[in-house]
Amino acid sequence: MDFKIRAAKQEDCKEISRMIIELAVFEKMQDQVKISTQELERDGFCSNPRFECQVAEVSEEHKSSQGYTVVGYTLYFYTYSTWMGPTVFMEDLYVMPEYRGKGIGKGLMSKVAQVGKEHQCSRLQLTVLDWNTRSLDFYIMKGARDMTASEGWHALRFDGEALDKLAAEAPKD
Amino acid sequence: MANFILRKAEPNDVSDILRMIKELAKYEEMEEQVILTEKELLEDGFGDHPFYHCFVGEVPKEKQSSEGFTVVAFAMYYFTYDPWIGKLLYLEDFYVMEEFRGFGMGSHILRLLSETAVKTRCSSMHFIVAENNTPSIEFYKRRGASDLSSEEGWRLFAIDKEDLKKMTTPK
Repeated sequence: MDFKIRAAKQEDCKEISRMIIELAVFEKMQDQVKISTQELERDGFCSNPRFECQVAEVSEEHKSSQGYTVVGYTLYFYTYSTWMGPTVFMEDLYVMPEYRGKGIGKGLMSKVAQVGKEHQCSRLQLTVLDWNTRSLDFYIMKGARDMTASEGWHALRFDGEALDKLAAEAPKD
Repeated sequence: MANFILRKAEPNDVSDILRMIKELAKYEEMEEQVILTEKELLEDGFGDHPFYHCFVGEVPKEKQSSEGFTVVAFAMYYFTYDPWIGKLLYLEDFYVMEEFRGFGMGSHILRLLSETAVKTRCSSMHFIVAENNTPSIEFYKRRGASDLSSEEGWRLFAIDKEDLKKMTTPK
């Protein structure tokens, strides 16, 4: 099946929103999705975009059972390592279940690697849930190293009340 | 010791920042992995399109370190994106020189960072910590941080240059 990988346009945000929720459902965390299509549009297509996105598109004749032609996406942004400089972080990579096994995931990820290379990034980072064996295998086959297992890195977060509380105690200028 | 100031890093600070990056990497037992140079730090942080933002902690001359340094702490951060909740503040490095710990500088820096996060409309502040770094993990947990790796099972993966090149080479 032919597919095209291209940079997302603002009009794609509705489809990207749909797939963000599909991915969150798969990750069993759909109640954590708070963002709307409008916010995605604002944050990704303003003068100072917070992220970049590539989508995978199939032709009309191969549209999904529900009529979609945008069938996969990857959302990524540029980060910085104090050890090696610019890096790229692949936040989301998703292909609709009926389109898997056709090289679309690989195509999307290769595009991120290519874009990263153009931005002088020496590394691509991502996070995966420990029970998501299929994804873990996919990334490991491409040379990904599990930094949590090998070096003990844990991802931490301050949000909601904890963040507000911390901010309220900030020193005054 | 009460007096220290926290301020935005300036181009002249890159030498101190790189020194402390290496000290932190040494503490994390990974100092051979630091290949960044002062020139790159300068271009990347103070050029037309900064990749990062930085605060430094400075003490007056009379309180300088045993080796004569007055810039004794730093925090480097940038903005990332979570498609579920939006803009995030990502804390890349956070370090206070050993002889200046225990005086509240670290707490102040963390509070300043969280205030920055809230002011810039970030829903959350994220960072990584090595699991054997118990003092740091306790410091963060005491202040309300959640461990996403332990609690939700997130694992961090990295793909380096050689393997990235393979991915971009058409078969």
